[in-house]
Amino acid sequence: MSETQDFINEKNIIIGLDATDKEDAIFKMSQVLEKNGDICDAKKFYQDVLYRESLTTTGIGNNIAIPHGKSDTVMQPSLIFAKSKRPLQWNSLDGQPVEIIFLMAVGTADSGKEHLRMLAHLSGNLMNDDFVKQIKDANKTQDILDVFDEFKEDEDNE
Amino acid sequence: MSKKIVAVTACIAGIAHTYMAAENLKKYAKKAGYEIKVETQGAMGIENQLKQKDIDEADIVIFAVDTTVSKAERFENKNVFKVGTSEVVKNGKAAIDGAIAAAQQ
Repeated sequence: MSETQDFINEKNIIIGLDATDKEDAIFKMSQVLEKNGDICDAKKFYQDVLYRESLTTTGIGNNIAIPHGKSDTVMQPSLIFAKSKRPLQWNSLDGQPVEIIFLMAVGTADSGKEHLRMLAHLSGNLMNDDFVKQIKDANKTQDILDVFDEFKEDEDNE
Repeated sequence: MSKKIVAVTACIAGIAHTYMAAENLKKYAKKAGYEIKVETQGAMGIENQLKQKDIDEADIVIFAVDTTVSKAERFENKNVFKVGTSEVVKNGKAAIDGAIAAAQQ
């Protein structure tokens, strides 16, 4: 499905993210979003994501975090995935450090419903033990893409 | 006897927690053998809107929300069990167990 490939491809997957802490991780990932043309201002977007972080933690447990923010710097709803080189402190719900980060970018205007749907579907998948295990086990870009592909939306409206 | 649950999930940004909470409620309700229908109120608006019939027949209503529920008048006179989306994401089983306990009061 070309829409999925457009949404998640090798350009928005980072294996071995070299970040010193949570803020550094979000900033470096924001810079990649800017380079990919998904957002127009990495610094501003980073501030908007940190604001969301200040409300409640996005460390959902299982060593996974899903920082996200609504920001007018976002050109199209998008996602960037990273596996960190080292565990990062994230005030997670289960108190565990984070190694897997899904940074979601959504614009303030109501647009890109297709992509919003994919973010929603991905969020649902994070509650699926099989999906989480496979994402944890995958350590190459192509393997990550394969997992996303395997769990893409198909029978959600049963 | 199988219980019927209806739920509404909604978070601040409407991007992630709304949908994680919905999936986790479904997962643990099914594990326990309960019927569940979940309406999401997120960035895409209201989806899988609950039918009034399902609301009327439900033993318990779960509001897994960090914000106000839209069209809350549909749940007037219903027994509502309220939790935050993060609690549901963290421990779906506890949310379902808590709701069932509330239904039996």
